[in-house]
Amino acid sequence: MEEQKPPAARKSRLIVRLGSFLVSHSAFVSVICCVAGCITLLLLPVLAKNTYVSENALMPGSANPMFSNQDVVEANRFVKDIYETGILKDGSGMEIARLIGKHMEDVGAEVYYHKFKYRNLQFHPLCFFSSIPRTAVPQNSSACTLNGVSPVGIIRAPRGDGKESIVLVTPYNSENIKLNEALSLGLAYSVFSLLSRVVWLAKDIVWLAADSRYGEYTSVASWLKDYHNPTFSSDSGKIGIEMCFEKTENHVEEQSSFDGAAYDDFKRAGTMSAALVVKVMDKERSERDRVDIYAEASNGQMPNLDLINIVHYLAVHRQGLHVRVGTFGFLLNSALLKHVGKTLQRLTRLAESLNLGWKLGVNSADFVEGTATLASSMYYQALGVPTGPHGAFRDFQIDAITMELSPRTSLTNDNGISSFLLRSGRLIEGVIRSVNNLLEKFHQSFFLYFLTAPNKFVSVGVYMIAFALLVAPLPIVAAALFSSTANARSLTTISNNKPTNSKPVTRSGSWNWLHSAKLVFLVHLWALIVSLLPYFVSQIPHTNSTTSMLSWSLSSLLILYLLTRLTKSYVEGYQWEVLKSVMIAAASIGLSLMSIINFSTAQVGSILLVPMCLMVRPLKQPIQVPIFPAALLKILNILLAVVAFPPASLAILKGCLRGFESINIGDFWEWSEFLWVWNSATYLFVALVHLPCWYLCVHILLHN
Amino acid sequence: MASMTQRLKPSWRNHPISSHLLIFHLVMASTLLPSLTSAIPSFSSTMHNNNWAVLVCTSRFWFNYRHMANTLSLYRTVKRLGIPDERIILMLADDMACNSRNTYPAQVFNNENHQLNLYGDNVEVDYRGYEVTVENLLRVLTGRHESAVPRSKRLLSDEGSHILLYMTGHGGDEFLKFQDSEELQSHDLADAVKQMKEKHRFKELLIMVDTCQAATLFSQLHSPGVLAIGSSKKGENSYSHHLDSDIGVSVVDRFTFYTLAFFEKLNMYSNASLGSLFHSYNPNLLMSTAFYRMDLYQRPLDEVPVTNFFGSVMKTIHTDSPFRVISSQPKVKESIFLGDDKVKEIDKRNIKVENDAIVALTLKKVFLSFRSFFTYYVLANTIIDTVLSYFCP
Repeated sequence: MEEQKPPAARKSRLIVRLGSFLVSHSAFVSVICCVAGCITLLLLPVLAKNTYVSENALMPGSANPMFSNQDVVEANRFVKDIYETGILKDGSGMEIARLIGKHMEDVGAEVYYHKFKYRNLQFHPLCFFSSIPRTAVPQNSSACTLNGVSPVGIIRAPRGDGKESIVLVTPYNSENIKLNEALSLGLAYSVFSLLSRVVWLAKDIVWLAADSRYGEYTSVASWLKDYHNPTFSSDSGKIGIEMCFEKTENHVEEQSSFDGAAYDDFKRAGTMSAALVVKVMDKERSERDRVDIYAEASNGQMPNLDLINIVHYLAVHRQGLHVRVGTFGFLLNSALLKHVGKTLQRLTRLAESLNLGWKLGVNSADFVEGTATLASSMYYQALGVPTGPHGAFRDFQIDAITMELSPRTSLTNDNGISSFLLRSGRLIEGVIRSVNNLLEKFHQSFFLYFLTAPNKFVSVGVYMIAFALLVAPLPIVAAALFSSTANARSLTTISNNKPTNSKPVTRSGSWNWLHSAKLVFLVHLWALIVSLLPYFVSQIPHTNSTTSMLSWSLSSLLILYLLTRLTKSYVEGYQWEVLKSVMIAAASIGLSLMSIINFSTAQVGSILLVPMCLMVRPLKQPIQVPIFPAALLKILNILLAVVAFPPASLAILKGCLRGFESINIGDFWEWSEFLWVWNSATYLFVALVHLPCWYLCVHILLHN
Repeated sequence: MASMTQRLKPSWRNHPISSHLLIFHLVMASTLLPSLTSAIPSFSSTMHNNNWAVLVCTSRFWFNYRHMANTLSLYRTVKRLGIPDERIILMLADDMACNSRNTYPAQVFNNENHQLNLYGDNVEVDYRGYEVTVENLLRVLTGRHESAVPRSKRLLSDEGSHILLYMTGHGGDEFLKFQDSEELQSHDLADAVKQMKEKHRFKELLIMVDTCQAATLFSQLHSPGVLAIGSSKKGENSYSHHLDSDIGVSVVDRFTFYTLAFFEKLNMYSNASLGSLFHSYNPNLLMSTAFYRMDLYQRPLDEVPVTNFFGSVMKTIHTDSPFRVISSQPKVKESIFLGDDKVKEIDKRNIKVENDAIVALTLKKVFLSFRSFFTYYVLANTIIDTVLSYFCP
């Protein structure tokens, strides 16, 4: 037996030999991989490509816009009507809804009013990824003021098949309407009335004037939910829209002819191809009218890149607007980034001078801007919380974006506003006409990407390299640790107990890891309980974020103490190397799973988690390296253990962004509340992958 | 052979003959006929005596509006130059006129000036929508249809036919895409043309293709009598000519646009040659290089009028009434819109042989009529009696 082994090992397949080579040089491989991963991440802005409209059918800008000055006049008149109604009448909000509905009807649209009950979002641990549980509509007839009422108009495509639609959303606060909201309503109305006259519609147009008094997202999400979950029961408790209007407008004579029942039917218009949320904002002045695009939906989902492409193309090349996507402004002034950019610029110049064929063309300013935009794109994807009402659409697999249009002049400047409305109207018309040309759904372009500029993107094929490089060392190091401890143990046992039989050798060699696995399992169990605790903590009345945070952490510690007490006898006799190996295996599984659910979270998480997992070793354990690297390793270990503690990392991040005096104990509670309310998988990642991993690392650090 | 009919005719006219005598003549004619058919000249020298056009638009969807407009423009042109509707097989993969995105419902234009509606009252589409498949095109070309397919959907060409095959759509290296789901490969096309050649389904075939890398589609052709024009060479794209910003799509391709521009100046009596058509393509305007393959084609292009393919030659048999044709000598009138006298002068013998062929065909027709009389004997008796009484009062 012993003689046959060496030739068998020599004959083993290439992949096995390659694997064992990597495992035997695990330290070197992991350092190389981590460094390469970080460098790739840093280079992503350089690797970004220009966007292009991938779908042939879209043909943005191929038709002349029909939106004219006449439509602008109409929009202005409507804005004046709305604004005056909003200012003069009482704050019930029904007046504006009624006015919008009437105008919708006047252009020949089908109109109804969508009522929704505001529900405070709560943490429901058992239905985390599913939609919010449906509760019965309260049987309160006087509740129409508690409900939001959104007027909805549908234009049927004259020769369309009625199976598809495009949705236009304008959120407005019915209780306290601002001029910018009135402007966005006016803009949408003028586009809507234009679309009611055109002959080229192939998809129905739905205009949802979303009542945003309880938040923009809530009203859009509840409308979408009702759109996709038809109720067929004749709900007796349902309040007719009639009542709401009669209550507030019984003094109006024409009200008697108002047929409320007709406005209660929930009308539909088929599958939604795309949705545009249009908002007029009053932002800081710039040279040109400007449009900000928000695209991130829940859990890092993005709309198809083609939708952003057509908006960008039409805005820049047809209407001369300035397009922006989210950027971290503080990074633009970062000296470190500028320095990196300049170094890169110099390096690429050098490379270009060496080989004239290379056209790298890295510009320092572009790099800094690209990095700031990329960081923002990655952050909002990683957070997993939608950046606007468009997020509600993505939950139903509808491509949607929010366009925040802001004029270059003040909102009261009539000339400036007129030209702004003309451009914006043409932009919206162009986007709708382009989407109208679409067959079926957006499918041609990317769904997984980061934006580094409005017209530059990093596709999944590029950005996953960085993550793969970061995660690759984990299984290698785990295997290396496991095999080295197994070898060491068996060698020592063999040398010590040569005469005895080999039974205990095999047992300790192959099943040794079970002791460590038990501990890892217990810690993960603890993390699971900790992740569920907020549900109970939030049930405690009269608490603020600080007390909630304190009770959460105290109860967590208590449970940890109880768990360790109860299971003390089970989790003994492990080696720290094996424990580290099992912990790394668990972490790599967690990271890989998370990368499927929300790639950005996994990417950001791996930057902290991977170095911590790879470097950790007991502080009291001596290592056979010179004193300086050993000390450095210890310092790094302690630093990482502090930084990677989730509340600590949040506090550091907040301190960097807003100054360290703003840090509060309750911050982490608020942050996690924010995450779970939005059903963000990032919460699960932090609680179920990051936290146990961090605890185990600390455990190893303090190992005797 | 022409004298044979001469001899038959007086015998009927001069003697009051009975129907029995007529049957005798019939038998005589039937014995004579085999010798007559054997005298029909061989295929290669068959005179060009009819024209067909197969016009194919292979792409669906609104953004491919221009392909339908291309095909309809060609349809209009060949109709204007004299090919009748029953000899045009029009295949349109989609219906742009009734697309809900069309700003001009039920109309199709190939120019942004909207002067000419290509989709007027007089358009007969033979294959539409999902009927436009590679299989159906190959069936049309090779004539291998299922029995239920009506005559109007068949290419009933013969050895004297000049066929124009025009195709437009999205193509690539050695293929032309059909309907987003399948493609016609250059081998398929070459195979179909070879089958057509073997089945004597054409005398000359002009294949005109407006697609990217159109030239590659002809690379496998090797049947004689085939002339091929493509809008672009290998590795080149064919571009659309202009965008109609009212309709919001490109309405015509460059190659087709300049082809049409050439034909708009012509009428059915024009003498313009294929050579002049080919030279009219300016690579700078096309943004691609028009390619023509003529190694399989014998005649010099400068001497072939475009109307040989885009127009129509027709043989008209003038008769006063349906029945008089039996007894009276058929007056064969040839109205050939060749327009080019040179062609006739080059080969007078050819024309003579051709005349003989026409006579032989006429005789064959007479015989077939007789045979039908024989079958319906009673009916024939009464009819012949009336005929005879008409001639011999």
